[in-house]
Amino acid sequence: MSNSITKDDFARMIAGAASAIREQHAMLSELDCAAGDGDHGSTMLRTMDRLEAAFAPGSPEDLKTCLKDAGWSVLGVDGGASSSLLGVFFGGMADAADDELIVLFEAGLSALRKQTKAQPGDKTMMDALVPAVLAIRAAADQEKSTSEALHDAALAAHAGADATRNMTARHGRAKFLGEKTRGHADPGATSVSLLFEGFDKSWSNWKGEAGNA
Amino acid sequence: MKMKKFINKPENIVAELLEGLALSHPAQIRLAGNHLVARAVPKAKGKVGVVTLGGSGHEPGLSGFVGEGMLDVSVPGEIFAAPGAPRCLEAIRLANYGAGVLFIVLNHAGDVLSANLTMEMAKREGLNVKMTLTHEDISGGTDPEDRRGLVGFLPVYKVTGAAAEEGQPLDACFEIAERMGRNMRTLAVAVQTATHPSTGQPIFELGDDEMEIGMGQHGEAGTGRMKLKTADETAEIMLDSLLKDLDVKSGEELLVIVNGAGATTLMELFILFRRVDQILKGKGIKLARGKVGEFITTQEQAGFQLMIARMDRELLRLWDAPSNAPYFVVR
Repeated sequence: MSNSITKDDFARMIAGAASAIREQHAMLSELDCAAGDGDHGSTMLRTMDRLEAAFAPGSPEDLKTCLKDAGWSVLGVDGGASSSLLGVFFGGMADAADDELIVLFEAGLSALRKQTKAQPGDKTMMDALVPAVLAIRAAADQEKSTSEALHDAALAAHAGADATRNMTARHGRAKFLGEKTRGHADPGATSVSLLFEGFDKSWSNWKGEAGNA
Repeated sequence: MKMKKFINKPENIVAELLEGLALSHPAQIRLAGNHLVARAVPKAKGKVGVVTLGGSGHEPGLSGFVGEGMLDVSVPGEIFAAPGAPRCLEAIRLANYGAGVLFIVLNHAGDVLSANLTMEMAKREGLNVKMTLTHEDISGGTDPEDRRGLVGFLPVYKVTGAAAEEGQPLDACFEIAERMGRNMRTLAVAVQTATHPSTGQPIFELGDDEMEIGMGQHGEAGTGRMKLKTADETAEIMLDSLLKDLDVKSGEELLVIVNGAGATTLMELFILFRRVDQILKGKGIKLARGKVGEFITTQEQAGFQLMIARMDRELLRLWDAPSNAPYFVVR
């Protein structure tokens, strides 16, 4: 089954992700107070504003061009590592070989891996992102629909973010807090989990209404 | 405790502080492009440009060191957060006078990520850029990747900026920056937290009678939490670790910097510096140059950074060269 994604599809996914982040930004800042400086929620709000703007009416018709612009724009959020990493992730999707869901997400992840050595288990956004992309890969191999793939990804990202609660930070500024970071979920992983929750909801709502999920 | 700071809207802090910094030193610096701090009078064509990046909230670091003889452009980020790659790239284009650009980066995760992305983009544009990383905080362990960049940026900006000003080529400027970097060590101590000016939250917690040696620039925990000690005892513990790590021998010449974190008084810093000098004399090590003051702060955090650097003839000459940077004037 082809799960090719159009620009309009992606714009809807971004809108869903943006509303998920906007609902929870205060919680993200609170989580960040435990091991960071408490500004993660505001960084994510600015990131989502820029992602939405890159897909707003009047943006280029071509998905890859929009992704490239979105990535560059998010890099300019100036919010430290989180916004730079998300900029690399979305911008990296522009290098995907085609517009298949899994190809886009694997291209984003591969661009990210060139910039960070963080692995799942290090208490970073990779703890949510890697399982989410693996879930999309598994769904693609089983020829599941886009809707099912995004649902699986949201569940995997959520479980991954949740598991960071019992991890010790080994990357970024938080690594210097070591054991003190245990007991709180990683803000970056939690944000990624919210992004996938938003992708999932936007897709199931819209495709559900259109009756071709 | 409620935060007591003279600010306006939190989202305007960085723009407003940069405006004030530039307005108070119009002969030396100006704002350029998208919130970049640049020299008021650009360097002559054919000389190497020197650029840095880093979060705000650490004033006068890092933009206070833009000026003739030091930096050409600095890229300030949000409070305690690295700026993204697009503005860094803009800064490198601005500082390119035809002889290439040296990009000085303090080792912090967000800064390094932005710097690496900037380097990729700059190379794609065909810009001649070299990057040097400062990582001299010995509390991070022995792996250079784990050592953060603290006040050691100051001698690196100074000697590299002076070399660039004299017209030394990019490779030579890079070599000088790296040599300065290899020969310096810093250790920080904190006794009281700062509040994050945007969120009003304390950035770490420390007991009333405690101090922590090895505290990072943003209150990242170090390894040595202990009961508060006297100035002399604290200077002894810290200097001892630094001398061992740099393997300083009797007869060598050092530059020593005592940098106040924001709420520690000059009174205390002078008392500390005096003890550092006594210890060095006792070991037959020469205090070639010393500097006491606030070069990089973290709001009202109390504590200080002690930096030592082994100096050779050329590094000393470059350290002594003129600078008109607002917060590091050398005549």
